[in-house]
Amino acid sequence: MRKSKIQISTIINYTALCVLGIITLYPFIYILVLSFNDGYDTLKGGIYFWPRVITFENYIKVFQDSNILNAYGITIFRTVVGTLIGTIMCSMLAYALAFKNLPGRRFIVFFFFFTTIFSGGMIPYYILLRQLNLTQSIWVYVLPQLYNFFNIMLLRTYFETIPESIGESARIDGCGYSRVFLQMFLPLSKSVIATIMLFFGVAHWNEWFTGAYYVQNKDLFPVATLLQNILNEATFESATFDATKMNTGIATAITSTTPESLKMAFIMVMTLPILCVYPFLQKYFVKGIMIGSVKG
Amino acid sequence: MKLSDKYLLRRIWRYRALYIFILPAVIWYIIFCYIPMYGLALGFKEFHFNMSIWESPWVGMRYFKQFINDRMFWPLLQNTVIISVLKMVIGFPAPIILALMINEVSNKYFKKTIQTVTYLPYFVSWVVCIAVLVKFISPHDGIINSILVNVFHKEAIYFMGEKNWFYPLVLFTDIWKNVGWNSIVYLSALAGIDQQLYEAASIDGAGKWKRMLHITLPNIMPTACILFLLNIGNLLKAGYEQIILLKTPGNSGLSMILDTQIIQQGIQQGRYEYATVAGLFQSVIGLILVIIVNRITKKLADVSLW
Repeated sequence: MRKSKIQISTIINYTALCVLGIITLYPFIYILVLSFNDGYDTLKGGIYFWPRVITFENYIKVFQDSNILNAYGITIFRTVVGTLIGTIMCSMLAYALAFKNLPGRRFIVFFFFFTTIFSGGMIPYYILLRQLNLTQSIWVYVLPQLYNFFNIMLLRTYFETIPESIGESARIDGCGYSRVFLQMFLPLSKSVIATIMLFFGVAHWNEWFTGAYYVQNKDLFPVATLLQNILNEATFESATFDATKMNTGIATAITSTTPESLKMAFIMVMTLPILCVYPFLQKYFVKGIMIGSVKG
Repeated sequence: MKLSDKYLLRRIWRYRALYIFILPAVIWYIIFCYIPMYGLALGFKEFHFNMSIWESPWVGMRYFKQFINDRMFWPLLQNTVIISVLKMVIGFPAPIILALMINEVSNKYFKKTIQTVTYLPYFVSWVVCIAVLVKFISPHDGIINSILVNVFHKEAIYFMGEKNWFYPLVLFTDIWKNVGWNSIVYLSALAGIDQQLYEAASIDGAGKWKRMLHITLPNIMPTACILFLLNIGNLLKAGYEQIILLKTPGNSGLSMILDTQIIQQGIQQGRYEYATVAGLFQSVIGLILVIIVNRITKKLADVSLW
């Protein structure tokens, strides 16, 4: 790069990217600021970048609510268990599929791939869940989401970059395939495993659809579904949000919180855990996707 | 022949441990993907609650006709296709443009920061994204409306309730959530271009735009084709999560799509057969589109999903 003068196009480019960054980030900052502001003070308006009357009351109230705590428990359960089992199952499968000489490999991959371009749709799937009695069980969030074709391919592509000779030489020394997998492949693949865990974790944390339409039992709602419920009621009544709808346990009369300010805190409680994790894994998932995209 | 059979069996036996690794996945895929595919037969049967899909009696094309002749069929199809096509025409090139812009940035830290920031909405649930949006554009205390009212002295707009604002909101949230994430693949394609090509071109007198047109764009075409192929199969799905969350009584004339109908008629009102036919329609059209487009991209750009 040998540029002596700063070009106009460069300035436009930087400015446009800055504007994009602000548009992306600011709505979240706005909600964050409101969630730390006194609910009744917020009603006066004029809060944009910094809370005027700082309070933690909104967060305290949100964490005192039994429904929200219950939903939180379900979300944490499905995220931890679903991520662990999903990552283990997908990487075992991907390891096996990474052996180029495996008889029937192409057919097996196509068997999995086909489900990404053709599916039975919502209703047969819903009937299946009901017949398996999953719609009344917390496992509805874990079992149907064990395998993910995209994740499998990402892992397989990575495993294929590990020389097969490593595996074969270890086998000559008397190791079985499972030991080669555990002792040689997994330690060499920490970055891609971290990426897959992030993908699984984020998907589980954010997923609301199953709870809202397949489960319909409020005690089994994860946080995302609970938030969707609250949002739904709010938009339907044109944003006049009744205090009783937020929850039974919250009395707003004597405190500094309003249903709106509680909602802001709730949105943040749902968002912050992810925002604290993904920037640290950015290096890994960008690399993971790049490796995956080389092969397509 | 005999010999090769024996050889194949020996190879399979040699890899027996690996087949055990694959077996749970095969079972899982049969249960959670292939059994629902068989369940599509329900569209041509009459569902009885005390029977399985297998036992329920066949009724032929009755529900298929019901689905096609329903007065909602054309509006639903039209709404779904319009949303999908808008997203493809306007939403699809957006990450390519962003990737080109990020690629031009030479400051390492600025580059990394802008990437981290633009990836953010992808990691956040659609529910949160729409909740944030609703707050932001709320007619009572939303920031956009308070600027409209206080600075420009206009009337507040109820964005979520007005039909005219539905498509802009769909496109804006779609791009806002996905543009950063989708640009990653394009950035990796850009990083793979041989720098010598650019140098050779500038020695030959090609300007910035010429280089982009003749070197950059042809090099990211295969990536764009793959992503297009992966999207086209979902044409009749229209990103239903987002649409369900943006749907209000005010915009339901435009936001009624096939999937909202499937949920409402099928899951909530128990018209399983009708809703199954709707799902079958989506899946079959999706599969046909993928096969056709795959054939085209194979010929034009040598890109194929299989």
